[in-house]
Order: sequence, then structure tokens, then C-alpha cells
Amino acid sequence: MATIVDITEEKALEVKNFEFTYASADEPSIKKLNMPIAKNSITALIGPSGCGKTTLLRAFNRMHDLYPGNEYAGEILFKNRNILTSKEDLINLRIQIGMIFQKPTAFPMSIFDNVAYGMKLQGIKNKTELNDRVEKALCDAAIWKEVKDRLKHDANGLSGGQQQRLCIARAIAVEPEVLLFDEPTSALDPISTSGIEELVIELKKKVSIIIVTHNMQQAARVSDYTGFMYLGELIELGYTEEMFVTPKEKLTEEYITGKFG
Amino acid sequence: MTHTQKRIITNNIVMVLSTLSAIIGIGFLFWILGVLVINGVDALSWTIFSEEGAPPGYEDSGLKHALIGQFMIVGVATLFGVPLGVLAGTYLSEYGQKSKLAETIRDISDIMMSAPSIVIGAFVYAIVVAPMGHFSGWAGSVALTIIMLPIILRTTDDMLQLVPSTLREAAFALGAPKYKVITQVVYRGAKAGILTGILLGVARVAGETAPLLFTSFNDNFLNTDMMEPMASLTVTMYNYATSPYEDWQKLGWAAAFILSMFILTLNILGRLIIMKRKGK
Repeated sequence: MATIVDITEEKALEVKNFEFTYASADEPSIKKLNMPIAKNSITALIGPSGCGKTTLLRAFNRMHDLYPGNEYAGEILFKNRNILTSKEDLINLRIQIGMIFQKPTAFPMSIFDNVAYGMKLQGIKNKTELNDRVEKALCDAAIWKEVKDRLKHDANGLSGGQQQRLCIARAIAVEPEVLLFDEPTSALDPISTSGIEELVIELKKKVSIIIVTHNMQQAARVSDYTGFMYLGELIELGYTEEMFVTPKEKLTEEYITGKFG
Repeated sequence: MTHTQKRIITNNIVMVLSTLSAIIGIGFLFWILGVLVINGVDALSWTIFSEEGAPPGYEDSGLKHALIGQFMIVGVATLFGVPLGVLAGTYLSEYGQKSKLAETIRDISDIMMSAPSIVIGAFVYAIVVAPMGHFSGWAGSVALTIIMLPIILRTTDDMLQLVPSTLREAAFALGAPKYKVITQVVYRGAKAGILTGILLGVARVAGETAPLLFTSFNDNFLNTDMMEPMASLTVTMYNYATSPYEDWQKLGWAAAFILSMFILTLNILGRLIIMKRKGK
């Protein structure tokens, strides 16, 4: 059984007996997983490649539904409802649970249109409102100063780090409650990486964050809670400060001391 | 002779042979263009654009009827072919993906692309011309649409598949419904490629003669009624060039020149779009 710390805060999400099977696989990639996610805090998911951390992350906004044949079992509770049911409104869910990808995914349109995209999807047409919220999102994503004079320029002209912050701006512009980060800095240089890390810490005031990372230092630097996954199971979930110093599970200790990975 | 010397000699022979072959290949292209330009420019005059066909020996003869007919037949074919082709390509890339149906459509479309155009002409003769009882501009457009369709369908499919799936996922992650992901994000990403496919598709059918012989046939005078037989540059060129009259032959050269320049322009435009995209 996994060692799971008692979370005293309110929970943003709660995973219960969750199982996930890819269309092409015979065995589930995630087995009987239980995990609470604390509100307004950062939960890091670590573990060796193929342990299922990205698979779990992509279940929170039902990204797996884009590809036919994938199967969920168990429950993920969000606002007191199980989001894994077939009647879940995925469009609405994805507005509330945003996602930042490994590689920056700027759309082939202007910087302004990129940030306004999610709001326009929601039918916001008022120019002043759009302008205000785009500016606010870009400020919150700490990129406003760099782009304010070229909002009409093609977003693909920005550097990788800037594009990633633009993607964060685009995601927070629709005011989600949860943000999922899938190794958001693995394609970036160290300076851009620390910029994104500072930003993630700043964002937890408003949203609950789950971040998948291959980089244990990153998990230690930014997160409040860390979950260690191995072979599709959650081995341990604990306070980040404690887990990196005194892990309770032997497997966790071996992983963070670099005995395997 | 040492092994090294042997190798150097073989190397030189292969280089000279391949260079020569390339020059011969390109040489023919320039030869064709040269003959076309010399004879074509010589045959050009204002009356080509202002006058219709006339009996041989008649001074004021031109290609106005063929130019307008060509424009209408190809234009209508493009109006049908582009939306059909782009939508079908969208189905393959975005909905059908690797499904059996999609793969079958891809295979059939590839076979259609290499089908002899005269066969398609005969097919349209059987399903449109014969029931109608006469040749018509519509029939010509239908034949050209069928030829254009697989080209546009496949380029659209290929170009959409080049758009990274992470871009689609990012749009879905913002709560976009599928049709908006396709029209607002994926199409934008593949815009240049799809446009190139359309240009090349139009260029391909603009030079077709055989299917039009069976369908729109010909008319020596201006006709803008698509229900009636219609002149086209290609069929007109075929008729004039094979005639024994020198002034008709001259008109044939003019038609060949105008047609080639049109197709060349489309092809160059297509290349420019691709180059501009790569440069970015």
C-alpha cells in the first residue's frame, strides 16, 4: 500500500481507485491509484520514464479521450463529481482544468489572438474586456513587458521560453481552477526554466497546480507535495520538504538517491 | 592500376554521366519553352483576345471563345473540386485517421491520381453526356473535378497530418470543440500547404485535353451557356494545330503559349509559397 500523507487543506481533486488502460495495451498503465490533490498548492509527480505520471496527468482533463479506445476506471472527483463519467462535459471541464505541454504550443496566429483564443471560445466578444484580460494574463505570466509592443506579431517569432510563458498566459486567461503542467521546462534553457518555476510558484495563489517533472531538483524547488510513482502505482505522496529528506518508502528513497531511474 | 586510381576513374565517369543526363533533361524543357515562346509570341496579337474563331483565311480570328470557355470550365471544376477535396482531406486526417475506411480512400485516391485522364473523360461521357444527349460545359467541369479531386484530397491530408498533434491537444485543452480546433488552429497551420495543393491541382487540370474531347467538346464561337458544348484552350489548340491551315496553326501556337504560361505561373506560385514557408 502506498504511503499517503494526510492533507489538511481543502482538496482540489481526489483520485479514487483509478485505473487507466491504453487502447493498444492489455494491461492497465495505472493500477488502483488513490491520491488527493490539495487546493492552491503545487503537487509534483515524479518517477522514472513510463511510470504513468503523464498518463495520470492527462486523465485530469480527459485528454485521453482524443484518441479512441482508451479506458478509464475508478473515480476522479472534482467539485464533488466524478469527471470520468461519459456525461461529463469535456469542453467545460477543460476550461476549468487547463494544461501546459512539454513543448510550447503557440498557435499560428498573433500573440494577442493566442491569449484571447480561450476567451473567444467562451463567446467573449467585447473588445475592451478582451484587451483587459489579455493584458492581465500576460502580466500574470510575466511576459507583458516583452510583448506589449508587438501583440499583433506572429507568436511563432517568440523564443521558446517566451512561447511557454505565452501558453501559460493563454491557459490562465480563461481563469481555470486547476493547471496541469506536463514537464513544462524540459525543452527550455536554464534561465527560461527558472523564470517558469517562479511563475508556477506565483500562480498557486489562484490555482491548484499539478506538475509532472523528470527533474527532482525542480520538484524540490517548486512543489508543496510530491508524489512518487512507479510502474503505474503511487508509491508515496508526502510533503516535499519531508519526502526528499526522510522518505517513508524504500523505493522512494532508492529513486531520489539515484539508485535507479 | 591501383585501387585508388580505379575508384577515381569510376567516380569521374559516374559524375560526367549523371551531369550529362541532367543537362539533357533540362535541355528538353528549355527547348520546348524556347520553341513555344518563339512561335507563341509571334502568333500573339490583340485580336487573339478580342475575336472569336473564324474560318481559315479570315483576318479577324482569335481565341476569345476558348479563353472564356477554358476559364469557365476550369473555374467551375475548381469551385466543386476545392471544397470537396479539402473536406475529404480533412476527414482523412482529422476524423478517419488510420481507420480502414480512411486507408481505403487513400489507396483509391492514389490509384485515381494515376488513372489515364481519357478514361475519366469516357466515364463522364457515359454518366453525363450520354443521358443529356449532347456535350456540355458542365460535363467538362465534372471530368476536371474528378481529376482534380485526388490531388487536392491527398495534399490536404498530408499537410494536415504535418500539423503537430500537440497543437491540436493544446486547443482541445482550452476547451475548443473539434470543428473549431480544425478550422481555427489546424487549417491555419497547414494553410500554405493546402493552398499549394490547390494551385497544383488547378494547374494539372488546366492542361487536360482528352477528358474535354469527350465532354465539353468544342465550339468555334463564344458560348457562355454551360449546358452547351464549350470551347477550351486545349481542345481548340488540338483542332487548330492539326488543321492544314497556316493561320489556324498560328492560333494553335498562341493557345499553347498562353496555356503554358498560365500553368507555369501556377506552378511557380506554388513553389514560392512552399519556399516562403520553409524560410520562416
